[in-house]
Amino acid sequence: MTDFLQQIVNGLTIGSLYALIAVGYTVVYGIVQLINFAHGEVFMIGAFGALATWTVLFKGQTGLWVLPVMVLGAVLVSVLTAVVMERIAYRPLRGAPRLAPLITAIGISVFLQEAVRLFYPGAKSKLVFPEIDVVTGTALSIGGLSIQRAAVFTVGALVLSAALLWYFVNRTRLGQGMQAVSQDPDTAQLMGINVNRIIVIAFAVGAALAALAGVAQGLLNSNIDFRMGFLAGLKAFTAAVLGGIGNIQGAVVGGLTLGIAESMATQFIPGQFGGSAWKDVWAFVLLILVLVFRPQGLLGARVVDRA
Amino acid sequence: MSTSTTDLTHGHDDDAVKVPLLERIPGRGSAAAWPLGLAGVLILVGGTFLSWSYTSDVLGDLSVDFYPNGVQICMIALGVAALLFLLAHRGPLHRFGEWLDTAAAVRVLGLGAVAYMVITLGIIAYQSGGLVNINPGGWISLLGALLLAASGLMLVSRQHRDPLFAKTSSWLEISTIVVLMALVLFGAAYALDIGDGGSFLLFLLFVSAVALALTRAGAFTWVGLIAQKNRPVLMLGAFAVAFLFPFTQGGSDENMSIATQVLIFAATALGLNIVVGLAGLLDLGYIAFLGAGAYVGAVLSASAFATIDWKPPFIVVVLVGALFSAMLGLIIGSPTLRVSGDYLAIVTLAFGEIFRFTMGNLDGSNGPDITNGPNGIPAIPDLAIGSFDFGQPHTIAGITLGRFANYYFLLLLIAAIIILVFTRLNNSRIGRGWVAIREDEKAAEAMGVNVFGLKLFAFAGGAFLAGMAGTVKAHHDVSVTPDQYIFLESAFLLAAIVLGGMGTVAGVIVGATILKLLPEKLRFIADYRLLIFGLVLVLMMRFRPEGLIASHRRKLEFHEDDEELAQRIEAVHLEETEVKA
Repeated sequence: MTDFLQQIVNGLTIGSLYALIAVGYTVVYGIVQLINFAHGEVFMIGAFGALATWTVLFKGQTGLWVLPVMVLGAVLVSVLTAVVMERIAYRPLRGAPRLAPLITAIGISVFLQEAVRLFYPGAKSKLVFPEIDVVTGTALSIGGLSIQRAAVFTVGALVLSAALLWYFVNRTRLGQGMQAVSQDPDTAQLMGINVNRIIVIAFAVGAALAALAGVAQGLLNSNIDFRMGFLAGLKAFTAAVLGGIGNIQGAVVGGLTLGIAESMATQFIPGQFGGSAWKDVWAFVLLILVLVFRPQGLLGARVVDRA
Repeated sequence: MSTSTTDLTHGHDDDAVKVPLLERIPGRGSAAAWPLGLAGVLILVGGTFLSWSYTSDVLGDLSVDFYPNGVQICMIALGVAALLFLLAHRGPLHRFGEWLDTAAAVRVLGLGAVAYMVITLGIIAYQSGGLVNINPGGWISLLGALLLAASGLMLVSRQHRDPLFAKTSSWLEISTIVVLMALVLFGAAYALDIGDGGSFLLFLLFVSAVALALTRAGAFTWVGLIAQKNRPVLMLGAFAVAFLFPFTQGGSDENMSIATQVLIFAATALGLNIVVGLAGLLDLGYIAFLGAGAYVGAVLSASAFATIDWKPPFIVVVLVGALFSAMLGLIIGSPTLRVSGDYLAIVTLAFGEIFRFTMGNLDGSNGPDITNGPNGIPAIPDLAIGSFDFGQPHTIAGITLGRFANYYFLLLLIAAIIILVFTRLNNSRIGRGWVAIREDEKAAEAMGVNVFGLKLFAFAGGAFLAGMAGTVKAHHDVSVTPDQYIFLESAFLLAAIVLGGMGTVAGVIVGATILKLLPEKLRFIADYRLLIFGLVLVLMMRFRPEGLIASHRRKLEFHEDDEELAQRIEAVHLEETEVKA
């Protein structure tokens, strides 16, 4: 039983991370039907942004009060990257055949990884992420379960951002504009909504959450490297599909489900094919199964049939 | 609404600025332009016979008078090309000039020559420490290049006829193809022999300037047409060139190793081109099929680390590898091909990752011991078919062919098979079905095309071909590890197709060559290789999504509202059907 609960905790931690990133895929997809393949790199850049902020402003300090500033730095860098990317690379391709934006996305992804590797000092190998009081350090122990302090931060970040996002989408003018555009861009434009602006905001919202995930990942693993965006991005996409791509609640549910499924697979698949070496394989098998049997995802979204 | 109006006015502004930019050049259309160009060519070529550099260790040796080296000979060739276009503009070659936009060609050549000279002089100044090390010859050639460029900018394009409708005798067409093929062979052999990155870059600049000039002049439209008319000659010529290539290398293993790598890459990309280019299924995990073939080749080889104790003859291994790969294709394809577009891309990407993780895990401790885990299977012996040992050099007609040359010929055979499959399928009922699916799946289904069957066939067929290439790759590479089959390799394959031109054989070969050859030759950018790769992908999609050598149909897909292009393609199509009839 303890094993089971422990895996639930682990799953929720990693799942919150996936969910934070998955929101970015889903928001953008819901509005422009584009798989922003480079979103994983936005997450990676967020982590590096936080590290850079810390190195420049607070090197050597561990107080909790530096964390908000680090998050702010991460969000700024990520949002900037995403907005520039949208403006330069994706916007000119709107209306082009579907292949073009996807290949562009691969190009951006490679470019961003390499740019960080080459131009961030020391990024050719893993970089140590700073320890912060309260959110890192010895794991908490509650009733026989070991809970990483950073895990609490990660889950907390997800809960907070999910609440804010819900408020933004459902209660603000811009959020309602977003919903309108995702339902029918042409009509929304006729109603006086600035579609380009909504698209930029979708990219920015996704990037902000990815940046938060980047900080969380740094705290959880205590190191970051330029490759971390690829696999995390792919997993988060899986999560988005799992929940029903285009559906924001779905992304959160999908992320948590994927995280729990992964840690359960590690623990409870017997024999040689269990264990952590196979957890990524099971995650992707899950992706394929979902696409085959329930392409609209767990919570459902409109079925994608565009080629 | 407001955005779209601003966009419109923006477009107008751009047009308004663009057109007069060339018109506003002083002296445009003056009678002096043509003699100025001639003078430019003479000075340019004259300069190449003089020494360019004071020191003798930059870009080969540019310091000897009256003994032009490779860098200078390129400039002479460029000058001669410009001279021909000038004479076609006005003078003895006027007859050809009627068909070509000669002014545009001279313009490109002139600007290319200026860029070439500036870069050359820059390299000389940089490497030998200062502008003083440039000898008069260099400055003279730069002056000539500047005059030529000025002349090109001043020349006005005349009304010329579309080269598509030129009626030429077939001997001229065939000899053009032969000459072009010979040039390709010579150019490839020469390019591979260039040792330093600077000279290679300059050669590249030279080739692209000439190619661009010919394109702007409209010569390639004609070449494309005659290539289509004389397809068998072209294919034969291309294979003759590829076959003769090892004989130009004098047994040098270094260049042949690059050439075999290019060939493996090109053969795999051609297989992927069936899936992506013809059937329009975006497969981001294609490298896994190559890997599956390679692992079969390794496991069934005589390597001491091979885990299966069955050593069949190689031809059986090839078949097993290809079939295993095709089977994987069926397994992954049959459920996932129901989803389309982007989803398929991600599923195949996930499959590629599953393959890599699985190969890394089957090491005995995390799973059954089949692949030896992350260490892979090393020490795979060279192939031996009958008494022919691929590891040993062989001598044919006095020319030694090393280990890589042996593999090169085998891979050439495989590439030929893949190209044959590709072209035959493309022109068959199946190929037309694929095009229909690519254009509009629902309409195709309504017209009675077996959508699912054809998609599955494309997927499994592509996997089969990749598996075949993989078995040879295992022996060529000596070892097989999971790291060789990462996602980036799939991205590279896709990039080769996109760069070259989707759905065309020539395009993919060009793309594969560029992607494999450039990093080998331009060692000084080695660290920035991937950065540039990513950037090129983005720029390519933005400015020329149909690729360098595009099939007409693809071009139209990406430029749907270009009426003129559509009409021309229709005209060519009619022309072709007339020729066939």
